Amino acid sequence: MIYSVDTILSLVLLSILFSLGSSRLTVLFKVIAFQGVVVSIVPLIIGGREFGWGDITFTLATMTVRGIVIPFCIYFAIKKATIETKFRPIVGYNASMMGGLIFIVMAAVVGGKLHLPAVSEGKLLFPAAVTLLVAGMFLLMARRNAIAMVLGYIMMENGIYLVGTTFSVQARHIVEFGILLDILAGVMIMAVILQNIKQAFDDMDTARLRTLKE
Amino acid sequence: MVVEMVFLAPFLTGLIAFFLPRTLGRPLLPLTGVFHLMLSVMLWVKRPSPLFPGYFEVTPEGLLSLIVISLLFFLVSIYAMGYLRESTIRSENIFNGSMLLFLSTMTMVTLSDHIMVMWIAIEATTLSSAPLIFTYRSKASLEATWKYVLVCSVGIAMALLGSVLITIAMDIGKVNVPVSFSALTLNARQLDPLWLKAAFVFILVGYGTKMGLCPMHTWLPDAHSEAPSPASALLSGVLLNCAYLGIFKTNKIMVAAGLGDFSGTILMVFGLMSIIAAATFILKQTEYKRMLAYSSIENMGIIAFGTGIGGPGVYGALLCLIHHSLIKSSLFLTSGNILLGYGTRLIESTGSLARRMPKTFVAFFGGFAAISGFPPFGIFIGELFIILGAFKSGHYSAAGIFIFSMCVVFAGFAKQVMIISFDDKSSRDKILEKQDMIWPQYTLLLTSVFLCFWMPDTLYRTIVEAVTSIGGGF
Repeated sequence: MIYSVDTILSLVLLSILFSLGSSRLTVLFKVIAFQGVVVSIVPLIIGGREFGWGDITFTLATMTVRGIVIPFCIYFAIKKATIETKFRPIVGYNASMMGGLIFIVMAAVVGGKLHLPAVSEGKLLFPAAVTLLVAGMFLLMARRNAIAMVLGYIMMENGIYLVGTTFSVQARHIVEFGILLDILAGVMIMAVILQNIKQAFDDMDTARLRTLKE
Repeated sequence: MVVEMVFLAPFLTGLIAFFLPRTLGRPLLPLTGVFHLMLSVMLWVKRPSPLFPGYFEVTPEGLLSLIVISLLFFLVSIYAMGYLRESTIRSENIFNGSMLLFLSTMTMVTLSDHIMVMWIAIEATTLSSAPLIFTYRSKASLEATWKYVLVCSVGIAMALLGSVLITIAMDIGKVNVPVSFSALTLNARQLDPLWLKAAFVFILVGYGTKMGLCPMHTWLPDAHSEAPSPASALLSGVLLNCAYLGIFKTNKIMVAAGLGDFSGTILMVFGLMSIIAAATFILKQTEYKRMLAYSSIENMGIIAFGTGIGGPGVYGALLCLIHHSLIKSSLFLTSGNILLGYGTRLIESTGSLARRMPKTFVAFFGGFAAISGFPPFGIFIGELFIILGAFKSGHYSAAGIFIFSMCVVFAGFAKQVMIISFDDKSSRDKILEKQDMIWPQYTLLLTSVFLCFWMPDTLYRTIVEAVTSIGGGF
């Protein structure tokens, strides 16, 4: 049986592949915003849970922060000209995409064998969450562009959020909100640092940040 | 009195400090320091219940960390007054505000009981201390800040994942209690062991990044050397303890669940790796602040190793934790004097410290002797207990590596300290030393000596309480 959640999550999986294979940062921004919106909604629409006004408000707030505020925060911190430049990766785009595809298949196989109590529906929940997490980490390591690294971090956080809200029934809004606030503040500080890197080095290539290396 | 007041007070003054000019903002640091110290002592004596139980709790290990943070911040803030006067820092209000927010978030770590609140607090320490590292606005400090924020945020994200895995372990074990360390420790046996193990590994990697355990330590030497000395003292002296607290509390759950051997072994491996890494890098250091940073990595390794060993090792680890904070912060403050006096961080450009800055030299050399584990300083007793614990539990080869690495660290450290202190350079002029930038270091070192000879009964009992909670003791 196909659930509606799986339809959206398959789009998320596609978007991950897209972000791994793209050389343009603008694409990455759009993908991050899309994923931010989806991971905020998914907990609300997976069935069997009653939700009240509190949940809806919380979902809307999360969606605004993850889907709009966080990506735009980085976007506006850097001048547009910098964003539109293509960047040289450490691992090639085709190889990244291929690796991503293999990973999704593996995650789906492993996910089928784990019997998580909270995941009774939505076969793609586990693969999507884990792939988001790992693809984010991959972007952090395999891209030399500082902006791409920050976006990788955000993708990773989105993955963790999906794991946390869908696999476990323990989530409390007040605590979740604290976490969201921390991540938002973290991204803002990263945006300020990106701005300073741009000013000081006139480039976003992290290969230039090597003076302290031993 | 409510528990939450202890971290809310510096939070408020921190926010105010952002908007105050330097003449008003500067004295706010020691004033808040005194107030915070008073609150912490009251908390220690009265042990009140929190306003939000389940989220916050007064625990013995938390109290130990809190009192160290409070004492250290007070002394560092007095030093900072002098330091700010002598050095040129642009936008001092950001420095003052961040210092106070940093104090607030670290206090929150020591008092938090809810797993996610702990995470929020530890991530908040990263965010509030990032501006401190960027104080000098140089390219190197920018790079250090970038590394610090990115590596620590990603690392701590791992800890968040670990915390989420704990909730999954609760779901599978059908445990329906608040997601707090204290409640989970009581119900640890019902948690699903497999998921709990996975959670511990992620939490150890996450908070271990922040604690500076090898191989996640890459940010630490950069951040500690680029930050202004009062901030370095706090980063090294107490921030690392806060991250350790997260690991300690998770380990408490592991021990209660009967998985103490599993967690202990991992802690020992990470601990030994850190000590070996520090020993390797300390030998070729050219900057004295980086050398101190590597010594912090070594000491965090020692503490993780001692915690993993169990038995008397845990007692030794907690002693090392307290004394490392006192001694290392004193050393970092002293390094601030050297930096202001010589105007360089390079070891080869210093020299004749004993002649040119005699008072600073006493603090520096005393700190060196203390951190190397010489009696009568506390690290000596701590390390002795850890080695005893290792022998008692039959980890002879681990103890061998431990002792050998410490000898290497001592050799590397001693070589550099000799150059700084006695190397004869052309200039022999005295450098002016301010009183208020000397006695905080002396106080810290004397406290360490004092605690070695006479430990207050309440302190001893609190340490033993914390030690027995993770299955340690004699």
